[in-house]
Amino acid sequence: MGTIFTIECYAPDSDTADRILTAAFDEIDRVEALLSNYQPSSELSRISREAGNGPVVTDPETFRFLTKSFYWSQRSHGAFDITVGPLLRAWGFKAKNGHVPTQAEQKLLRDEVGWDKVQLDPATHTARFTTRKPMELDPGSIGKGFAVDSVVALLRESGVHAAFISAGGSTLYALGAPPGETGWPIDVPDPRTPGSVAATLLLHDTSLSTGACTEKFFMQNGHRYCHIFDPRTLMPVEGVLQSTVVAPSATDSDALSTVVFVLPPEQSRELLRGMRATQAILFRSVPGAPTCVVFAVPESICDTHAPSPQKGVRP
Amino acid sequence: MDRRSFTQSLSALALASSTSLSSSALQVAHSVVTQPGSVDDTRASRQTARTTVNTPLRLGLIGAGSRGQELVRSFLRVPGVKITAAADVYPLRFQQLNKVCGYEVAAHADYRALLDRKDLDAIVIATPLGLHAEHVLPALKSGRPVYGEKTMAYTIEDARKIVAEVAASKQIFQVGHQYRYSPWIRAAMARVAAGEIGEVTHVLAYWNRNNSWRRPVPDASLERLINWRLYNKWSLGLIAELGSHHMDIANWAMNSNPIAAQASGSICCYHDGRETDDNVQVTLSYPGGRRMVFTSMTNNAKMGDQLWLYGSKGSLNLTLEDATFFYEPKKVEVAKVAKTGDGREPVVTSASYSPANEMPYRGPGSPVQIKEGEDPTTAATRAFVHCVRTKERPIADEHVGLGSALAVVSANQARVAKREVEIAT
Repeated sequence: MGTIFTIECYAPDSDTADRILTAAFDEIDRVEALLSNYQPSSELSRISREAGNGPVVTDPETFRFLTKSFYWSQRSHGAFDITVGPLLRAWGFKAKNGHVPTQAEQKLLRDEVGWDKVQLDPATHTARFTTRKPMELDPGSIGKGFAVDSVVALLRESGVHAAFISAGGSTLYALGAPPGETGWPIDVPDPRTPGSVAATLLLHDTSLSTGACTEKFFMQNGHRYCHIFDPRTLMPVEGVLQSTVVAPSATDSDALSTVVFVLPPEQSRELLRGMRATQAILFRSVPGAPTCVVFAVPESICDTHAPSPQKGVRP
Repeated sequence: MDRRSFTQSLSALALASSTSLSSSALQVAHSVVTQPGSVDDTRASRQTARTTVNTPLRLGLIGAGSRGQELVRSFLRVPGVKITAAADVYPLRFQQLNKVCGYEVAAHADYRALLDRKDLDAIVIATPLGLHAEHVLPALKSGRPVYGEKTMAYTIEDARKIVAEVAASKQIFQVGHQYRYSPWIRAAMARVAAGEIGEVTHVLAYWNRNNSWRRPVPDASLERLINWRLYNKWSLGLIAELGSHHMDIANWAMNSNPIAAQASGSICCYHDGRETDDNVQVTLSYPGGRRMVFTSMTNNAKMGDQLWLYGSKGSLNLTLEDATFFYEPKKVEVAKVAKTGDGREPVVTSASYSPANEMPYRGPGSPVQIKEGEDPTTAATRAFVHCVRTKERPIADEHVGLGSALAVVSANQARVAKREVEIAT
């Protein structure tokens, strides 16, 4: 997952905090070793390599990760897809040499990408690629959340009542609240005005994930290409600045931040309808369309904001 | 401490590559042909090969702590495997194990009740080191194949008993030295065996961390149960828990068990009531004056977990994820006989030398290229299942376990006695 995890934790004393945090970071190492697509020895890499040859049996935890990933693919009609590894590679986002691939390269991608090319069998805990070739599963849009949820479970088992976990600043979890407080304050930036804050949310036993193209993008011929793709068109998403999703599970908010980024707002609204304690904010730059769309949060968040000093943690 | 960098696992190669300094002290060979595999490599390939055989295999687990659960995750990646029963003295472990398995595993507070079951095909043992023999020996006597975690035994006497019992029971025994199954280490060691870096005369191994090695304890009464690695009754400390893997690889590289051990250690950082040292240094002697040095510290992770194998022609760096060769400069470039016509035929040589002032080489090496960089524990567990199904002898068998145990136990004796300890072969 290649990111920096930070944890702030309230504990009776520093020795206790040290032991708990060491265990938490060990847990992150464990999940990284399970899901990293940069480590050939990870279980996810093994599946990517072998499932083209036939069904690969995997452990229940990895199978749970795959099930959740493809659940969101199915719910979003393919807007969320962990098979996008070749897409990111072809566009140079993995090697940090962003460029538009040739037409021929783009045509080849059609055969290498697609969640519907992966079959899961819950009875045998197997994954199989119908392509009969290796695929490249990329946990980038859900793995951080999965790791955060694993850490949260461990912290709860360790008796921690107040902690704040951040995976690269883009996926956060607020466990309980600091002593004397009702939650952890999180600033949601307003990308329409750099340095401004759309809202400061007070999070308590919930997660927040953000997708944005403000950092990972490249310019070619004056055009800005975002690292978040619409897997259905195999093209970078256009006209979206930032998506932020609050949900009880970090795995879900991580995946949903991509879903909301990729889908048209009306389809996101349909998908999010009825989901417990789930909110979203979307900022766009589509000419003639609203620049801010909210889901289950006050419209006032969409008011324009002047740059302001930081009050909470900013994703 | 409230923050820690997550992306610390740079390999030595990556670290070396990060500098702009260059040196010609070493040269990199760009095209090295892998030597044909030995019989052992053929056997390892067969045992670790991907399998679609899914005949049911019911495992009993003794010791369902963190390592036991990690083994279970790997075993559940092998078709047909089910964890049927587990034994542990700490009830919370059963809840954790059920979560890992996704189903309820029969729980036993006494391992003897587990061994009495008739519905188990093999036994996996991941208990504290001081209990290994107590659990492995009756498991073998129960007539089932056994996967036993390293170090094989707490004493040499117990290790030899296990070797004898494996022979007497004619059972499969595999010790948890999973790096014997690591694809990149096997590929690299095959090239070492073929002479690529000359005779290996020295192995320098590090396993450094920057944490207290303590686990959170929900209740003070559970301290010695959960943090058993820190107490002498069940643990031989860093020498066993980390060093045994490296000593096993040294035995492999030297093609011999060590003949003597020296060691030291101290508690220099964590004065928290622990009994085992928080830093150790071990020197193992091998026939022919060859040496292995292992060091471990727990307050600085710069060197991480890595080994260096040194021969007169080159060096090999092994890590948890890769293997990289480096080569000594070829000093003698031409060696020919000059015909003088007078009966004397002196050898004329020429050599090149680029002065580097003995600065360390900081350039890239020659990485070992492999197709499938699989997790060693996943490969080792699949190999064990293969051996149970086919009755084939494991690569990491009881003799491999004994060799590592000889090194570990003797090194610990040397550390305690503060003198060199000879190792009976």
